Amino acid sequence: MATRVETGIAVGQALSPLVKDVSQRRIDAYSGVKPRSIHSDEAWARQKGFRTCLAQGMMSTAYVSQLMVNLLGPGFARGGTMSMAFVKPVYAGDRLTAHGVVKDRQNESGATRVVVEVWVENQHGEKTAVGHATGLVS
Amino acid sequence: MAEPRLTKFKKLTLETLQVGDEFVSDDHLVLPEDIEAHGFAVEDEHPWLAEGVAPPTLMANQALHLRHSKYLVHAGLHARMEFSFVEPIRLGMRVRTRGKVIDKYERRGKPYMVTEYVTEDDAGRVLVRGQFTQMIIPEPEAPHGHTR
Repeated sequence: MATRVETGIAVGQALSPLVKDVSQRRIDAYSGVKPRSIHSDEAWARQKGFRTCLAQGMMSTAYVSQLMVNLLGPGFARGGTMSMAFVKPVYAGDRLTAHGVVKDRQNESGATRVVVEVWVENQHGEKTAVGHATGLVS
Repeated sequence: MAEPRLTKFKKLTLETLQVGDEFVSDDHLVLPEDIEAHGFAVEDEHPWLAEGVAPPTLMANQALHLRHSKYLVHAGLHARMEFSFVEPIRLGMRVRTRGKVIDKYERRGKPYMVTEYVTEDDAGRVLVRGQFTQMIIPEPEAPHGHTR
């Protein structure tokens, strides 16, 4: 699995956003269905003060991973990094959009490390996760 | 016949949690349906990076659930997650995640724990490493939160 060859990734370049409909069924597939879980037990989620079930923050890391794989291919799966903060809850039924903008290119052992600012926002334009991800191109 | 070794679970609080606590997951054999289910869950129509190569975050929950191997976790929130993808996770691998609590603290009256982790194949080769921060919500003080 070779690192993707440089094809002109520029600082300032916006990645093609990914739109995700976070249905309860998809949350169940990701987190499993359990009693007393705010991810799959709506009554429990309401008891804990939420309006409905919540998606795991980790689902948003998968969206960002998908953004980075689309950009860099294998150079993310081997040698990539990601750092995310989950800043707002994501509810079943939300529509999320994952975004990325290339912020830097750094030389690293004969390859180029591409640094991308990433964030995920909901249908109200509120950021739910923020951070950065990096990966390699040769 | 020897007695089975039983894990004694403690309620997770900032007081019972010890910095230096170590966790280890069960081994997990990466199945085709794991990758397909992950693809469905996160709406990734092309979840295979290449033949036999899984999405980089496929085993992230194995790390996140580590504290459940020693503690009764009433509720919590996932605050931060960091990954370093060293080698790809592949179909048919047996993977295991080890973790260690490296910090605990209170911020704005909320208790947090920080765990560093490494996910390895059965030969001990590192696949993913990183750390994550989780809020601890003890049972009597849990008006909000979730079970992760």
